[in-house]
Amino acid sequence: MERSLPYRPVSEHVARTPWWRRAAAWADLHGRREGWLAFILMRLTGIGLVFYLFLHLTVLSTLARGPQAWDAFIALARSPLFVAFDGVLIFGMLYHGLNGLRVILLGLGVGSRRQAELFWGAFVLSIVLTAVAVRMILMMG
Amino acid sequence: MWIWQALSGILLTVLLVVHMVANHFVVEGGLRTYADVIHYLSNPVIFLLETVFLMVVTAHALMGVRAIILDLGISPAADRRLKAALFALGTLIVVYAVWLTGSAVLRA
Repeated sequence: MERSLPYRPVSEHVARTPWWRRAAAWADLHGRREGWLAFILMRLTGIGLVFYLFLHLTVLSTLARGPQAWDAFIALARSPLFVAFDGVLIFGMLYHGLNGLRVILLGLGVGSRRQAELFWGAFVLSIVLTAVAVRMILMMG
Repeated sequence: MWIWQALSGILLTVLLVVHMVANHFVVEGGLRTYADVIHYLSNPVIFLLETVFLMVVTAHALMGVRAIILDLGISPAADRRLKAALFALGTLIVVYAVWLTGSAVLRA
């Protein structure tokens, strides 16, 4: 029975392909569909969010160093570069959460035939909500 | 493991919204100064809620890390060591964060 995998199976042929051809294959979008894109984005946002969790806890450790250290961090957090970073973070959280709901539905056998539309829905909604959140951050200053 | 990742994920969507709203929208302009943060955390209900959030998010994150490593293909013995290491790391994270915020609140 043929199963659809989120990645391409490694064959003998691939093993004999030179490394630079295999590396270039990452950029080859032939045969890549929404299921693959959803999976890769889920992995990347997940890895990013784990790093963010550690970063967030490290930043919170400035609480132990008193008000001066904390206020210095808050000043840094209001810089434009930091707000741009917030945008990336918010998109990552929204996509990971919304696609997580999609994965749960698919795991329960709900909406399998609509999985591609569910992916695009989660993706577009993440972008829209990120834009709303960044606008709110900029308005709150 | 899939079911735990799903359940903790659903719980996190709720806890994350509560965390964000409580930190950014309850006090006008959000929690900014050191005093704001300490005052917020000195509410026992909030402290408990944030601790539960931290525990769930840490478990979800480390289960995700294990899922990625399992996809690379490791032996059952290596997986047992991995689980023990991740459990120790998760415990360390929660204990450190509770100690950090708890001592900051008590000092104030």
